[in-house]
Amino acid sequence: MSTSLILLIIIPLATAFAIPFVDIFSNKARKYLVVFTTFLELFILVTIIFNNYSSILNGTLFLKYYMGNWIPPIGITLVMDMLSIFFSTMITFAMVFIVIYSIGFIGHHEGKYYVLLFLIWAAMQGIILTGDIFNLDVFLELLLITSAPLVAFKRNREGTEAAIKYMFYGTIGGLFVFIGVVLVYFNLGTLNFAHISQNFNSLSFFIKKMISIFFLLGIFIKLGIFPFHFWLSKAHSACPSSISALLSGVIVKVYIYVFIRLFWNVIGFEVLIENGLDKVILIAALISSIIGHIMALNEDDIKKMLAYSTVANLGMIISVLTLNTKLAIIAALLHVFGHLLMKISLFTTTGYLLQFTPGHKLEDLKGVAYKNKLLFIGFIVAAGGMIGLPPMIGFSSKWYILRAFINQNIHWGSIIIIVGSVIAFVYYIRFIIYGFKKISIGPPEKFRLILSVFYRERVVTDIAIFFAVAIIIAGIFYKIALIPINGAAEMLQNPYIYVETILGG
Amino acid sequence: MINNFVFVALFLLGFYAILVKKNLIKMVIGLNIMEGAIFYWFITLTDRGGLIPIVKSSQVVNNLNDPIPQALILTGIVIGASTSAFLLTLIIELNKFTNSTNPDQLGGMLED
Repeated sequence: MSTSLILLIIIPLATAFAIPFVDIFSNKARKYLVVFTTFLELFILVTIIFNNYSSILNGTLFLKYYMGNWIPPIGITLVMDMLSIFFSTMITFAMVFIVIYSIGFIGHHEGKYYVLLFLIWAAMQGIILTGDIFNLDVFLELLLITSAPLVAFKRNREGTEAAIKYMFYGTIGGLFVFIGVVLVYFNLGTLNFAHISQNFNSLSFFIKKMISIFFLLGIFIKLGIFPFHFWLSKAHSACPSSISALLSGVIVKVYIYVFIRLFWNVIGFEVLIENGLDKVILIAALISSIIGHIMALNEDDIKKMLAYSTVANLGMIISVLTLNTKLAIIAALLHVFGHLLMKISLFTTTGYLLQFTPGHKLEDLKGVAYKNKLLFIGFIVAAGGMIGLPPMIGFSSKWYILRAFINQNIHWGSIIIIVGSVIAFVYYIRFIIYGFKKISIGPPEKFRLILSVFYRERVVTDIAIFFAVAIIIAGIFYKIALIPINGAAEMLQNPYIYVETILGG
Repeated sequence: MINNFVFVALFLLGFYAILVKKNLIKMVIGLNIMEGAIFYWFITLTDRGGLIPIVKSSQVVNNLNDPIPQALILTGIVIGASTSAFLLTLIIELNKFTNSTNPDQLGGMLED
């Protein structure tokens, strides 16, 4: 029993509900509350890491918390194993930077913004920590319904349309997950992950197939993999940049976590193989990868371009996961980490640069590099990482992905990924070249103060530099990131450890 | 057996509304029909024909219905209500900008 697990969920949840009351009295107090909670959450996570330092190094971390002292399989169990702590750490650090970035950025309806931001944080931690399939479903819906208002946050036509689409797709995806939960409960009479995993093979072939298909449909709709990728680019580009960074960098990673947890720990990957679904996922994900790159190449709007790049990278991560070797899982998790760093960096720097431009198009970004050179270096480093240039983390993760494909003799997969990287090179270098173009006839300085009232220039530049340094350091010393990833991959290869540790006492 | 057919029919009816109807509010109704279909299906699947909880501790009961589906569906209803409330809010907001509730103005649901 470790109480800090429940604190990880409760602190952001309680803050979200406390913010409106604090907001009545003073805006300044709300700002202090937000920063204080952010660092409190970070402190608790760091405490967990330090207290279990040796078991993380061995890859044997396993913390449990029984809600209301109900011993599983009856109650809701919160579980933190190697996979959870990897995702939880990433998300907490990312949220710290997003909150710091938001403080100088949002400028209107800030109280509502932070309420939603902290609810999203609680939902993400809940998804990652829970060990109960219905609880997972509830947190997924909470994540959907708290992130959709943020998509419509600009209160213009574009944002509203994107949010309506996002809500329709997300709700239908949630319904499919709910059908999966119903089928699981009706056939097994349990909702606990470990208990389901223990009894799953006693089901008939047809039921197993139906459950896998429904969960797969739900997660693919929510992730935006190939046949369902229509909503993603709009939703991820119509909102303010801090929220784009949150959606495109962090929330999609949570859905990837759900995919891994359900299909490796709960259902078991052998079920997908015996149904022939793994090839379907592989092909859909690779098509999604190449389509995302091509759409990004066609796109003039920088934020839509970044959103399509997310589609492409998600396809890549899912496709490499379905190879189901230890190397493939390591590659996928390393790319999850790298993509999180690079996408947050790209969206935050873009959001800052866009305040100097009249619009989001390629031509509007002419000469934007001279506005803030340090920040633009951050943009270049992150873009280089997305392409996969050597010193950045993108290179090491793509290297691992290619190795995983070649080891399994799926050469066409590796060709698709190389072609995708080449296309990515073209569409990122366009924007960098345009950024350095001198404008001969000096147009008047257009500060668009419609939404982004104040950026604190120092803070934003510091964040950009920090991310640039982090991307390069992570690229050189990626072996450090491999410590938790190795443990997680080891655990995913032997799902019975999870079952035994939870049900054994 | 009949509950499976009813479930499939209702679910497809809701899905048909989402795919075909040219009014966003009717599409939300379709979404609600799909949700209702799942709730109906879950409640009928797990019905054992016994007594419905909550039961007093003094009562001796041989055949008791499973209380967990009730709890799950209650949560599901709350989620569904909040989802459709928020979707309707967004549709009102869109109506302010364009004076129409036609989904085609979103650029089509199946295009980017």
